[in-house]
Amino acid sequence: MAGPALLTIRGLSKTFSGQTALSGVDFEVLSGEVHGLVGENGAGKSTLIKIVAGIYEPDSGTIELDGRTVHPNQDKLPIAFMHQEVGLVDTMTVGENVALTLGFPSRGGLIQWGRLWGQTEQAYAQLNLRAPDPKGLVGSLSPGDKAILGIVRALARTPRLLVLDEPTAYLTLPDVKRLFDALRRLRAAGTSTILVTHRLHELFEIADRVSVLRNGALVMSSTVAGTSPAAIGEAMLGRRLVALDAAPSASSLGEVVAEIKGVVVHGAKPVSFDIRRGEVLGLVGLRGSGHERIGRAICGDEEIERGEINLGGTALSSRGRHVGRRLREGVALLPADRQREGVFSGMTISENLFPSAATRAGGWHVSVQGEKRRARSLVERFGIRPPDSSEIIDHLSGGNQQRVLLARWFAEPKRLLVIEEPTAGVDVGAKFAIAQYVRGAADKGQAVLIVSSDFEEVAMLCDRVLVFVRGATATELAGKAITEEHVAMACMGAGGHASRVAQA
Amino acid sequence: MTEVIASEESEKPKQSPVPRSIGRSLWAAAPGLLGKYGLVLAFAVVMLVFTWLAPKTFLGPINMKNTLTFQSVTALLALAVMLPLATNEFDLSLGYHVGMAQVLVIGLQVNQNLSWEVAVLIVLLVGLLVGTVNAILVTRFHINSFIATLGSGMLLYAISNWYTGGMQIVPSSLPEPFTGMVGQIAGIPIPALVVVALSVVLWLVLERTVPGRGLYVIGSSRRAAELTGISIPKHVGAAFIGCGVITGLAGVFLGSMLRTGTASEGPEFLLPALAGALLGATSIHPGRVNVIGTLVAVLILAFAFSGVQQLGAPFYTQYLFNGGILIVAVGLSGYASRRNVLAAARRAPVATDEPPDQQPSPAAEA
Repeated sequence: MAGPALLTIRGLSKTFSGQTALSGVDFEVLSGEVHGLVGENGAGKSTLIKIVAGIYEPDSGTIELDGRTVHPNQDKLPIAFMHQEVGLVDTMTVGENVALTLGFPSRGGLIQWGRLWGQTEQAYAQLNLRAPDPKGLVGSLSPGDKAILGIVRALARTPRLLVLDEPTAYLTLPDVKRLFDALRRLRAAGTSTILVTHRLHELFEIADRVSVLRNGALVMSSTVAGTSPAAIGEAMLGRRLVALDAAPSASSLGEVVAEIKGVVVHGAKPVSFDIRRGEVLGLVGLRGSGHERIGRAICGDEEIERGEINLGGTALSSRGRHVGRRLREGVALLPADRQREGVFSGMTISENLFPSAATRAGGWHVSVQGEKRRARSLVERFGIRPPDSSEIIDHLSGGNQQRVLLARWFAEPKRLLVIEEPTAGVDVGAKFAIAQYVRGAADKGQAVLIVSSDFEEVAMLCDRVLVFVRGATATELAGKAITEEHVAMACMGAGGHASRVAQA
Repeated sequence: MTEVIASEESEKPKQSPVPRSIGRSLWAAAPGLLGKYGLVLAFAVVMLVFTWLAPKTFLGPINMKNTLTFQSVTALLALAVMLPLATNEFDLSLGYHVGMAQVLVIGLQVNQNLSWEVAVLIVLLVGLLVGTVNAILVTRFHINSFIATLGSGMLLYAISNWYTGGMQIVPSSLPEPFTGMVGQIAGIPIPALVVVALSVVLWLVLERTVPGRGLYVIGSSRRAAELTGISIPKHVGAAFIGCGVITGLAGVFLGSMLRTGTASEGPEFLLPALAGALLGATSIHPGRVNVIGTLVAVLILAFAFSGVQQLGAPFYTQYLFNGGILIVAVGLSGYASRRNVLAAARRAPVATDEPPDQQPSPAAEA
């Protein structure tokens, strides 16, 4: 049963170089409750959490704990955090990781290992959970066990308030159950939890109250019993969700380019779909929903456990990773992580446009003049600034680097182009430009697969969208039904809307 | 359908002030130019300084020829190690390998009574084999190249010593064509000509072929290279094999020069070769190893040391040189490639307070 107010935030505001992250937020967490915090990316959830954690200092507003004003950036508070990147050290043991927060029991400067292992067991026992081998390496734990460890660790100092940021993103359903059981026990003992999540059905399963942030302001705060997923969704997006129209009939799409049949990647459920020439298909879901891996599997960068991928009628070898071979078959990948997997730092624009045999026409000979000409035409076509193809790519902005990567793969038509998060970290002008290129390529018969967690991007780019939830396709949206709101609601698993979608 | 060119891009700060005079524009461009041609400048300085200090001997034909001949071995080794370095791998077996090659090319003629042509051929094939073994260790077994080649080098040293039994192989005579390898054509030492010829070939491969470019691409980002269809094992393997064959060739010249088979002659070439390749990476194409830079760097090291010798410096000065240059070279090379990234970071203003999961706004994206 929820008790008196534990954490009271009044009038919290924070601006970052001209951009308002939070404006006058009043937020309250009672003791002994699970309080859901919901909002789109950029709504201010992260900022709010970081202020409570003492990482940022608010521009104005007060924070009270048990009625006393506190300053998180100065005081040590009984609040524990678990962020999305759990912060565990894979190469150390479970016991050592627990000790990193609890402290290493020592006598005379030497670590008392016996007490350290015991300390680990105790931490788990507190939550009625069975501890994994404390001497085992964290690196060998499953994502679910790692998440539990993160929470156990956070709770070991018996905080009054626990803040969890997207804890279930990469967990399986049984793990989620274990986590929620632990949260219920905490609640009974008087500890409160702030649960930051996008997954509305989980919210309705575990939370007592929910608060919604939109554009830096608190727009709704209610008991979970007194509201609905639709109401929360509308509060989040600020728009009424209209009923869906029937989607237009499939336009002049070409033949099937790729068939994905019952493909199982890394323990997810089997997935099946087709992609046609001239179609921009989107695979979308919250992070960890499994769509990212399917995209990689199609490109040969991820192993397939079961199932089959057919390109133009021929089944592709499913063993191992065959990026080179897929490229020769005409399937290319533009990865999400530009810095680590896309851009060749220290090399020129020209070299980034044509780094390998698969990205250029012609033989093994490099003709400087020919390359300059082709680079110039690509630079013009894709609006790359500065337009000097001998410029080192590191001197370009993120948006321009993305244009170079697009040019690399769009220059010559491919059978299928898989693009991950195409407009991530890119300015508005470039976003529109990228949408134009994708559309233009599709109109010329190119098949494009967009893999993304960005609802707006997907709504802007795709003809057809497959929504992934927990490793399986849950919904298909097509044509006019693809709006940011519908995609968002489908990804968050907001029951009602998910069932009423139109098919092409 | 019109293609939209980015409209909202905030323009990048200009790279240099508007030149109001040639002097000012030169000054502004100085750091870039210095980076690109600094080594050539340094070479000119070295030549001038020592010519002034020891005019009679430094530029004398004997000194020139000796220096060029002897340093050709270093130059070949520096060119050889450039190949793995381009892919961000090390080959530390160079020194031991060239020692073994030198021992074999003499020993096979003396002990096994093979003709010099066959001996040379075998040494080159052994070079190919060594390169292949290194390639397998690094690409197949994923052993860190630093460790793998250090280990394989040691094994080669063991083989050298086993073959010589710890003694010098002193031939009573060697065939003319073999010893003539370190002679001259038109007054220019043959080894130097070979170095030039090899440089041309390597330059063409690295700068004008797709597989050659692939080496640099792998060196820049292995992961991204994979995703553009480049086969890492094939390219890195080829780099190590190329390095092995050229090292074998260097060993042949070394043998011809020394006219004995000495197992301990060889290991001391490793650092000068590395120093040359890494110092060369600071110039022409700052941040990455390149042919011209390597050549100039080797020349600088060669003539600087020669000049210092002419002035009567003790024998250990060469160690001072090599050690010092190596540190300077690696430091400069790292600085040169970081400069690019630093310059890029300066151009993209990022508010340090920026919350990470905020959707990027026009203001945040430079």
